[in-house]
Amino acid sequence: MSDQRFFDLAMKVIAQQATDAERAELDALLARQPELRAEFARLQGDVRLTKDALPLVDATRASASEFPAYARERLQTTVRQTLGRPQSPPLQASDEKHRKLQPGLLALPELAPSLPTGGEERRMMWRWRWLLGLVAATAVIAFVAIPLLRQAPAPLIQIAMLDPAGASRGADSKELALFQNTWNNASVDLFSTADKVRTWETNWPGNTRSTVAKILYDRPAGELRVLGRWKGKPFNKTWVVEQDLAAALDQAKAFVEQQTKD
Amino acid sequence: MNLRALQAGDAEAWDEAFRWLWPVVLAVAQLRLQPFCPNDAEDVAIEALEDLVPKVREVKTVEELRPLAGSIAHHRAVSLLRERFAKKRGAGKIGRPDPGPEEGGADWPDPTADSPLAQLEQKELAQRIAQSLAELTPPLGEVLSDFFLHHLHYEEIARKHGLAVGSVGVYLQRGLAALRRIWRDNGK
Repeated sequence: MSDQRFFDLAMKVIAQQATDAERAELDALLARQPELRAEFARLQGDVRLTKDALPLVDATRASASEFPAYARERLQTTVRQTLGRPQSPPLQASDEKHRKLQPGLLALPELAPSLPTGGEERRMMWRWRWLLGLVAATAVIAFVAIPLLRQAPAPLIQIAMLDPAGASRGADSKELALFQNTWNNASVDLFSTADKVRTWETNWPGNTRSTVAKILYDRPAGELRVLGRWKGKPFNKTWVVEQDLAAALDQAKAFVEQQTKD
Repeated sequence: MNLRALQAGDAEAWDEAFRWLWPVVLAVAQLRLQPFCPNDAEDVAIEALEDLVPKVREVKTVEELRPLAGSIAHHRAVSLLRERFAKKRGAGKIGRPDPGPEEGGADWPDPTADSPLAQLEQKELAQRIAQSLAELTPPLGEVLSDFFLHHLHYEEIARKHGLAVGSVGVYLQRGLAALRRIWRDNGK
């Protein structure tokens, strides 16, 4: 009698499939070999366990039934509440906070509940985010660029010096250097008569809205005069130059900058 | 199916998962509830899927979801039976309660009585189911089911699966040993 024969007889008897002959055969076997009774009892226990566990394992293999449509929304709601919407990490991290900060973003599906859900909704959200991002970026660029574009061009600086004795003694190269240092190598017109200076003073460039500043050093009078126009409005100021022409020039430069500032 | 998408709450991924897992949770719920309250099976199946959603964070592979869903559905169904059973007993109807209209006259046994499955926690049960699914490869699982659940004879099983009659017993022996190891000896 093989072990397999004993097993088959035991299975058939336990499953109540054994014929009378098979049942008698097993009984005879158990009588001859009492040690098999323990094995038979163990097999009975195994079969009870199998009948308990196997249906559950079997059911876990099931693939036939169709998911009911009515359950979808309820389950998707659970997914959203539990795991949150699939979105960029910041939104995932604090959904509610983000809703408050950017109501426009998340209000969209709330205002339009009929919008498709899932991937399409997500794609639409991304499109909106791109669009809003683009608008924000454009606004920032405009905010920065417009003042730059509107900034007035640097004023035209015209410099002249009245020195009736200059022609005979030569221009003071030190004074010229001071002018050129103050206004970046600007050219300086030298006049020997007051008439020529007056002509120069009244000769403004054609565009009346352009910014022009005329700096005149009247050496005989010991004065530094500034005449200017900015956005069509005139400005002028005079400094008495005693010893320090450089200081007067600095003040004149600061004055021009102040007058031509937005 | 993409586990990361599921963990991120991707609606499309979950639609797919629900379709895939629904037969499992429904079959398990029906397995437990059919004799007593068959009309509750779908509700229990849906609740099981709801319970599964947060647990997706804990799994490492999509394949773990099927046994986990089965385990959750099993526990849900058993809880419902316990609750109903307790109500019947609490109403003074100790013993065999009157069957309800949907109950088909079936007895209401204590669902936890004398079952090794009842002692297993959800995760442990899921692990045992997963292990059983892995070990009962075709036709081993089918041969076991045909003999113990569908009560087919050796000859019928042999014919059905194209096996020699003599090998049916070998499959049964191997299957019983595997289930004993998984469910009683804790996989050892």
